[in-house]
Amino acid sequence: MLISEHLTRVFDQRVAVRDVSLSVNRGEIVTLLGPNGAGKTTTMRMLAGLILPTAGRISIDGVELSTATAAQARGNVGLLTEAPGLWERLSVRINLLTYARLQGVVDPAASVDEALRHVELFDRASEIAGKLSKGLKQRVAIARALIHKPRILLLDEPTSGLDPASARHIRDLILGLRSEGRAILVSTHNLGEAEELSDRIAVLKTDLLAFDTPATLRKAQAGSRVVIELEGGERREFAIDDVADIPSIVSRLVGEGARIMRVTPDQRSLEDVYLDLVGAER
Amino acid sequence: MTFSWPRVFALARKDASELMRNPGAIFPAVLMVFAALFPVLLIIAIVPRVVGETLEGSGDFTEQAAAAAATIPELAGLTGNALIQTFLFHQLALLMLLVPIVAAMALATHAVIGEKQSKALEPLLATPISTLELLAAKTLTPFLFSLGLTWSAAIIYVLIAAALGEPGVWRAVAGPRLFIMFGLLGPLVALAALLISVIVSSRAGDPRSAQQISGLMILPITAVFVAQLLGLMVVGPTALLLGSVGCLALNGILLWIGVRVFQRETILTRWR
Repeated sequence: MLISEHLTRVFDQRVAVRDVSLSVNRGEIVTLLGPNGAGKTTTMRMLAGLILPTAGRISIDGVELSTATAAQARGNVGLLTEAPGLWERLSVRINLLTYARLQGVVDPAASVDEALRHVELFDRASEIAGKLSKGLKQRVAIARALIHKPRILLLDEPTSGLDPASARHIRDLILGLRSEGRAILVSTHNLGEAEELSDRIAVLKTDLLAFDTPATLRKAQAGSRVVIELEGGERREFAIDDVADIPSIVSRLVGEGARIMRVTPDQRSLEDVYLDLVGAER
Repeated sequence: MTFSWPRVFALARKDASELMRNPGAIFPAVLMVFAALFPVLLIIAIVPRVVGETLEGSGDFTEQAAAAAATIPELAGLTGNALIQTFLFHQLALLMLLVPIVAAMALATHAVIGEKQSKALEPLLATPISTLELLAAKTLTPFLFSLGLTWSAAIIYVLIAAALGEPGVWRAVAGPRLFIMFGLLGPLVALAALLISVIVSSRAGDPRSAQQISGLMILPITAVFVAQLLGLMVVGPTALLLGSVGCLALNGILLWIGVRVFQRETILTRWR
């Protein structure tokens, strides 16, 4: 549904994104992880048809992105920008109505009502956007991204700066959007959120360092192991692909006559995997 | 991609709604109307009443008014106090050209910098709107507002001439010169001020600094106004028409620059 192949973007000789190939399927959430300046926002902007890649290709809902098709592509994508970017002097309804008209939807008023119901803000439509809490503003911004019923959603740090309850609400909303069959790409710094939401995770640091399911990423980074403590204080470590491998290891040791005192699966966290990938100091 | 007026109107309508809720943006423009009308009220009505002497009686403008009759056709056939009043109305009308400039500057800088400050440009650019449509939308509301304000000021100007001038003065004031000034040159000046403000706003961080730079647009008109007052020149209909042609050419250049400044990538990556 959303495909990028060998995506590269150069700004004034500075490579912001290099050779990034990823895809987001219908009913799937892909999370984009990476340190600040890794090229996440640039990637999002390219995938949203806001800026064109220097090299590589993007296919949005079957449409090849080019100068000629960028406007059409933008109409097929819903983009949640890092800042809500609402017109704060205007009501929630006027904010959304303007976007519905800009997107050329057939019945702007009905689309606004539907989008507001989606984010559970129908009863706040007449409120001035600037007076809403940060969490509510973010929900209005999500309603704005949904106003033209896009099948692809690009969400740039959707829970950044929100309190835990608001962040929880936004995450539930995102999971609900996935269940509707939308293809969703989420950029975040929150690894717990990435783990909770993601079907697949892409780790970016100019280059695409990894792109797979969270479980496979942990395995691929060869970090999972089990620590078995034997009678007498002896500790033995075994590399494992999955926790399902542990019983057979235990059986083998018992068969060899060992007396097992404690078995501790030591799976690497997503944070460990991420930090190893991006080469950050701990 | 075709140019979509519905998208332009959608955004312009939003800008108009925001403007109505932002008196701070409108205030300088409205203030300029009063500032532009005050000199004529002072010279035509207040001073003669305070000193108890007509303009003709003071003899201050008699020679200038008679000389100007050769350049300003509306003065032909008038004599005495009516001639001097009409002359002054025409001279001071130039000051009213500052209304579209100040209005356009005040509103356009808010229209562009307001979007930057509220970080609303990126979601806006994520819609199918083209940058040319965005430029058109960002200039439409300020243009219509400044035009409306200028024409309202011009009507008030003629009404003042009718209420306070000698009989027949208002007819001579509302002549071709005033129509060229406010029907042709005024809109062109407003458009130039708008485009300059929009271009400057793309690089400025707040409306005030953008207004300070685009405020330089006031200088040429002020210079002509002062030269008129000093008796160095009389701006007749021909000069106004030539000024309009010059302003049209200037607008062409500014539009060319504006279209280049309003590129999606430039807005996203270079506008601060």
